[in-house]
Amino acid sequence: MSGRYRTMTTETELVDRFRPLFEPQTYAVVGASKSKVTLGNEMLHHLRSMDFKGAVYPIHPKADEIDGLKAYSSLGETPEPIDFAYIVVAASQVPEILKAANGRTKYALVVSSGFGEREESVGLQEDLLRSAHESGVRIIGPNCLGTYCPAGRVTFIAGSAKEPGPVGVISQSGGLGVDIIRRGSIRGIRFSRLITVGNSADLGASDILEFYAADPQTKVIGIYAEGINDGRYFFEILSKLNGAKPVVLMKGGRTEQGQRAAASHTGSLASDERVWLALAEQTGLVIVDTLEDFLDALLAFQYLTPRSDHMTRDVVMFGNGGGTSVLATDFFARRGLEVPRFGDETVRLLEEMNFPPGTSIDNPIDAPGGTMRMDDGRVAGRIVDAVYASGAPDAFVMHINLPVFQVSYDQGADYTAHLVESALEAQNRASGHTHFALVLRSDGSLEVEERKIVDRRNAQALGVPVFDELPNAAGAFAALRHYERFLQKLHQ
Amino acid sequence: MDVNACIVDAVNSGRDTLDEENGKKVLASFGIKVPQSLLVLSPDGADAAFSQLQAPLVAKIVSPDIIHKSDIGGVKVGISSAEELGQALIDIEAAASSHTDYIDGYLVEEMAPAGHEVVVGGSTDPTFGPIIMFGLGGIFVEVLADVAFRICPITTLDAREMIDELKAVKLLRGARGGVVASEDAIVDTLIKVGGEKGMMLALEGKVTEIDINPLIVSESEAVAVDARFVLNKS
Repeated sequence: MSGRYRTMTTETELVDRFRPLFEPQTYAVVGASKSKVTLGNEMLHHLRSMDFKGAVYPIHPKADEIDGLKAYSSLGETPEPIDFAYIVVAASQVPEILKAANGRTKYALVVSSGFGEREESVGLQEDLLRSAHESGVRIIGPNCLGTYCPAGRVTFIAGSAKEPGPVGVISQSGGLGVDIIRRGSIRGIRFSRLITVGNSADLGASDILEFYAADPQTKVIGIYAEGINDGRYFFEILSKLNGAKPVVLMKGGRTEQGQRAAASHTGSLASDERVWLALAEQTGLVIVDTLEDFLDALLAFQYLTPRSDHMTRDVVMFGNGGGTSVLATDFFARRGLEVPRFGDETVRLLEEMNFPPGTSIDNPIDAPGGTMRMDDGRVAGRIVDAVYASGAPDAFVMHINLPVFQVSYDQGADYTAHLVESALEAQNRASGHTHFALVLRSDGSLEVEERKIVDRRNAQALGVPVFDELPNAAGAFAALRHYERFLQKLHQ
Repeated sequence: MDVNACIVDAVNSGRDTLDEENGKKVLASFGIKVPQSLLVLSPDGADAAFSQLQAPLVAKIVSPDIIHKSDIGGVKVGISSAEELGQALIDIEAAASSHTDYIDGYLVEEMAPAGHEVVVGGSTDPTFGPIIMFGLGGIFVEVLADVAFRICPITTLDAREMIDELKAVKLLRGARGGVVASEDAIVDTLIKVGGEKGMMLALEGKVTEIDINPLIVSESEAVAVDARFVLNKS
């Protein structure tokens, strides 16, 4: 069924068609209970906590009222047609529920599993599709968790951020969708939309990708997929997108063992891993292996503007931690990045600063705690100025080992704040296009983690992405580099 | 030639693959260079064939039952006279007759000029459909898996990147005193297999796999010396 919409759809039509899925005006919840707390009741709570502005209709065969809202006996009985129905009842009941919609429901997201992840339940998935088709409903899932869209004031998890952002995500796995929202939000990622697509019996990753490609709210696209139902269509959408928006794919089941795991999780078929790498070469798609890499890449694309004239290669590194800098230099090199020597002017300016012994004045700049405390930490601004004196590097990463300042006896000034502020001021003074990133390293103790959250928020407010460790920054720059290489190819 | 009719005939006669002669005709119809060749029906035709071709020659068995021709002694190379050709065909007949009762004939071909043996393959991926593969022949493909993949259709740039991607690319570029292979000729072949109007897309649904192995690439040209087409019988 996937692909019913594929004939000559304009971008505006696509956006209009999919908007009710993410920004519904009327929201039905099937499976909330009068007597206990089900996922359906949780959903009613989420809608309240997001200040959902549209109409909410609980659907229940017997109850008149659920959680203070008037309930209706079926999708066919609500006062207005339904944009979005959230269905969380036993799999066997879903086909009947959809039949009752009878042309009055646009989208139904089916949380229930037990529909074709295993062979014996394939028949039930066919029943589901038949009822959906007969009553004109497009299905998300089954075997998924929900949609999250700050602009539409909908979510499926407690405590999700209300501010919208540029990142649109499609996750085949519901659980990973939760991780992406929670961990991504903490890291500073802000979402235009996120959807979990589960078994993708009807609408799948390709359909949503086509929408995100056209969606003006979505500037960066992230996908977790175990299998793509219609790879040719997926390839065509990416080819047509032609690098207009960065797309990051976390592909599950790329190894033989992973493929077996994917088959039992979402019933997905396998392609040779090398074909996915070919897709990355041909479309500029960034493929990552871990959730960590996925979030780092999305963060980079949200905050930094990729260059189309040349790709990121030369990186300047500055911070405290000599061994950390050396290890990171190796790691950057393995990701195709370089940490080159400084130009003469930069070396001269750094020499003039008369740093205490133990400070390296070549790239990477290793500045021990004593050096970092100069001018109450404002030395960072002068160092950044000195680096830019020989021209703008492709990327600049400043790293601070937070406990060195946080738990030290010397609390003479808020060194961390001054380091970050002065460096960012210098960064803003600089001309040229350098990707600037901050690495705030923590030891995991409560006091340092608390401090990190504050510092990270401040840096993000100034438009700077913050990564946990230097290898995270390297992964993010490598993702940018891959995408920039594709843009550069288009330019040639 | 009518490629479609040739494939339909093969499927109707119960074949899973195109025989070498027809395979090469398909290649030629897509503009891929194949050696000059003649089909000889029996060893008696050796003299006539030799006079029409430029030695040195290769002779190969043509039989629907024999796929790995050289394994059974069905290929003779470096033939430089009519007498040698006659003897080669007799030897091949003897070797093949212990494997099959059905010999279509013998393909007598001019030998390709010296060059690198590379492999160009097309296959059907379960997710993405038609894909194309490129690698150096022999151990590079089979043991080291040093191959580049792309999803069809490919562009000229994709084809160039496929060459760049091989770890053994330096060999193609003349490392260790070898021939400098014509990369333009490789790109041209890749496009004719995997490009917008290439075989994989033009024959989609009829052919599931194409294996040009080897394609011999010299300084000036690429010649398909053997080709296998796997037919879609469904």
